[in-house]
Amino acid sequence: MKIDDLEKLKNEGVENLPSEERRRFLRFGLAVTGVFVGGSVLSLTSARDAQSSMGPVPAAGKFPYTPHYTMVIRQNRCIDCERCMEACVSTNNVPSYGYRTRILEQERTIARGEKERVFMPVLCNHCNRPPCVRVCPTTATYKDKTNGIVMMDYKRCIGCKTCMAACPYNARYFKEENRAVDKCNFCVDTRLAKGEKQTACAAACPAGVRVFGDLTDYDSEAYKLIHRPEQVVWVLRPETGALPNVFYMND
Amino acid sequence: MKRNSKSVANILTLLAAAGLLVFSSLSIAEEAYDEDTYGPKAPIVWAKPVKGVVFYHKTHTMDAGLDCDSCHNGEMFEMAAGTAEENEDFTMDSLYKGKYCGACHDGSMAFASNTRCTTCHVGVKGYNRLTGAAPQGEAAGGH
Repeated sequence: MKIDDLEKLKNEGVENLPSEERRRFLRFGLAVTGVFVGGSVLSLTSARDAQSSMGPVPAAGKFPYTPHYTMVIRQNRCIDCERCMEACVSTNNVPSYGYRTRILEQERTIARGEKERVFMPVLCNHCNRPPCVRVCPTTATYKDKTNGIVMMDYKRCIGCKTCMAACPYNARYFKEENRAVDKCNFCVDTRLAKGEKQTACAAACPAGVRVFGDLTDYDSEAYKLIHRPEQVVWVLRPETGALPNVFYMND
Repeated sequence: MKRNSKSVANILTLLAAAGLLVFSSLSIAEEAYDEDTYGPKAPIVWAKPVKGVVFYHKTHTMDAGLDCDSCHNGEMFEMAAGTAEENEDFTMDSLYKGKYCGACHDGSMAFASNTRCTTCHVGVKGYNRLTGAAPQGEAAGGH
């Protein structure tokens, strides 16, 4: 076909192009430019992200922190009794207008037009690449270098609430009493520092929904649950690339 | 042509008859719920040991065809609502052992008590909706 003929063709647009196709094209482009700038500057296809194509659970031995804290949510067991929320409030001095963890509710249509309720516990996902930490102008929120918990330094917080907007999980609130943003810290100060092995919410759950654990401990229940054969595990909003550490499953 | 119009008329009559049938059965279904036969129309809502669990008489009597004394037999449930939840053993463990709801919800007669949790467990949110209680704090309604 000659160029003159090509110009007469109608533009097909990209609407009908499968997203897989577009992604491959983009990746190709990034690979080419990546070579030119040394590979690491345009790291949108880094090895860390590539893990997500193998499911949300990082491969064994690929956990950036020690201990690498996680929470596994066995979602279908949740009955919204909200004992976790009550325990969190009393343990961590959460005001009545605030929350560190919540239960979302959803109605799903199942066979024969029947409805099914789904309760979804949500808390800070203590992401490996937390968007909240990236946007904080005063480094008031940061990743703990040892255990990877996303921490708050109330004294540094200026209350700009940018982190609240950046969080994909809506896991932050502004605590008037502190004049600072407050969030889940896996009870690191209120329980873990005192030798407790579980967070307040996990300890209070009557149905074993929340399993708190350390992914570098291969004998921990949390590690075993998400590494069971044929177990489907998912995370919330994987598309943000935040690499969350709260894993969801049904059992 | 004549034959065609006749068959169209036939189909129309059939459709009308079917419509009438559906309509009449619908109106029967709406009117027939009798509290004396099927039990209270209002849901039974438990708050203990966990908030909240719902039971509809209609699902069990009118829809599933159970009689009053299938459950109100002196062993499983008293007639007065809220009696069961005062008992120490009104727990999931008892259900697994065949007590209370577990007498039928055993996996063969009806879905097993340790499956489909949210069919009966409506949670604090469901409890507040059913009882008209106001949610606690702002967190319940977002921010």
